[in-house]
Amino acid sequence: MAKKKQIGRYKILGELGRGAMGIVYRAEDPNLDRIVALKTIILADDAEGRKDYHKRFFLEAKAAGKLTHPHIVTTYDFGEEGDLAYLAMELLEGTDLRERLKEAALSTTEAVDIAQQVADGLGFAHERGVVHRDIKPGNIMLMARGQVKIMDFGIARMRSADFKTSTGIVLGTPRFMSPEQVAGSPVDNRSDIFSLGAVLYEMLTRSPLFAAEETPQIAHNVTHLEHVPPSRVNPEVPAMLDFVVARALKKDPAVRYQDAYEMAADLRTCLAELRGREAASGKDADQNVTKTVKLESTADKAPLAPASGAISPDTRLPLSRQFDSSAALQRLARPSSRDREQFTRAPRPVGLFRRVTSDAGPRLLFAVALSSALAGAYIAFG
Amino acid sequence: MQEFARRPVTEQARLRAQLEAVVAVTAAELPSASRIVLDASDGTAIVVLRNPQGALRLAERALTAAAAGLPLSAGINHGTVQPVGGRNGEGMVGDGIAVAASIAELASPSRLLISRSFRDALADVTPGLEAALAVAGTFTDPGLRRHELYSLDKHRTRRRERRYVALSAAAAIAFLAAGVAFRVSVEGQQNVVDAVVAKYRDTAAQGEKYVRGWVEKVKF
Repeated sequence: MAKKKQIGRYKILGELGRGAMGIVYRAEDPNLDRIVALKTIILADDAEGRKDYHKRFFLEAKAAGKLTHPHIVTTYDFGEEGDLAYLAMELLEGTDLRERLKEAALSTTEAVDIAQQVADGLGFAHERGVVHRDIKPGNIMLMARGQVKIMDFGIARMRSADFKTSTGIVLGTPRFMSPEQVAGSPVDNRSDIFSLGAVLYEMLTRSPLFAAEETPQIAHNVTHLEHVPPSRVNPEVPAMLDFVVARALKKDPAVRYQDAYEMAADLRTCLAELRGREAASGKDADQNVTKTVKLESTADKAPLAPASGAISPDTRLPLSRQFDSSAALQRLARPSSRDREQFTRAPRPVGLFRRVTSDAGPRLLFAVALSSALAGAYIAFG
Repeated sequence: MQEFARRPVTEQARLRAQLEAVVAVTAAELPSASRIVLDASDGTAIVVLRNPQGALRLAERALTAAAAGLPLSAGINHGTVQPVGGRNGEGMVGDGIAVAASIAELASPSRLLISRSFRDALADVTPGLEAALAVAGTFTDPGLRRHELYSLDKHRTRRRERRYVALSAAAAIAFLAAGVAFRVSVEGQQNVVDAVVAKYRDTAAQGEKYVRGWVEKVKF
């Protein structure tokens, strides 16, 4: 691509980055004397595709332009020039979450704080009918003083369209996609909630969720694999966060959080608990917990127990950590000869003899009938 | 726990803590060598070894204890289970658990549903206890097998006890009456009455003599 000096009315000052869709420039808006981030998108070559793309781009960009929120990157302007569509956005000074995770692990408090801010931003967008469709660490910007902003609102849909080939195969890395998105079904705000759940999981556990070498395997994991509760991977994570993550990562959108604000409220409660703990233990909030946390070994990790409706004969239910069942397991592993006989035997039908000897009602009837029969016989013949 | 996944997370955490407290209290009744407690995301599964009456009492007590605010339902089944270990830690699998879970899913809040196989196991171990189980209907599990379900009805046990007492009384009356009737038919009514009166007098006289003997002994 030839180096451009101006796009629309924006004067290009430098390049900020390159992505799958195009280049992001640092640019100046001469009208307002404002420095902006100018995101360019290469339009399709064929006329029909271009027309469709063009239409959707303007529709989405217009919707995103209406989102003015402290946790969403503001879109100032959008337009088209030659083969490029562009978006002029607020220029952010910070690091994206993907880079931040590469540098060092986040503390649980930081992770929950970030997720809560993202959930707030999503809640605002969803209320206005805008779904992001591509929530992932690379689209979450961390600013100074802990502020978080969601990037690429509105144009994510353009990109997700690019992920699909004519055969319907999803390309790219669908690790943060919801099961319905992976399946190519229509998505709504609950899809963003799933993606945020996956991001939160990764922040809390420092391990990628649904990871696999091949894309189809990732897609399969997203659709079928139950996650290990974060508190089992990272003991610093409070149990309540397990519930938040579990609810956000429900495969069925109907039982997932229905509203990002609801998730944000739960995350705020967790945050208050975590900050309370920190205050109580006198810990420095910025302490890097990776130095002190003892991680459980992989062998001890158990996936999230399924709900009763999803339990089939081959579904493994993990042992409860609250109760010691070792004695009974020991008994099953090394049964006595009596146990062995009893464990394997099907219930026998209760015959007349056992009924008369073991059941109180029939026993009474039998005893009374027998004794009165003897008495009757004595009267008759005695 | 009914509708667990749809509840707010704060409530889920509260309900889970409440359930654990209920299970801790109720499972303590069983010897530790005969119960295995497993986690399900919306509840708890308890495998009870060779103690159907204990399992029934546990479920009953859990439902009673949970009556205050815990939307609990319970299902009991008798079936195969197997411990599994491996990469993902220890746990259990089996048809016994799967069917119990499906039954619990089907039960309304505060209700206990019991499978036919559990009823048979209960009858095998303690004949008579199964009388407390009333037919609640049939259902088809996800594996397309039909199950006859029962619910617990303590009144049935009391009704059954009363029925057996009444039957015993009726049997006693019938046998005694049959004896008397036979005697009357053979000897004639007047002779039987005279014999009974004579027998009564003899017995009364003997009784009187016996009592007097005791009175004399006490006086002495």
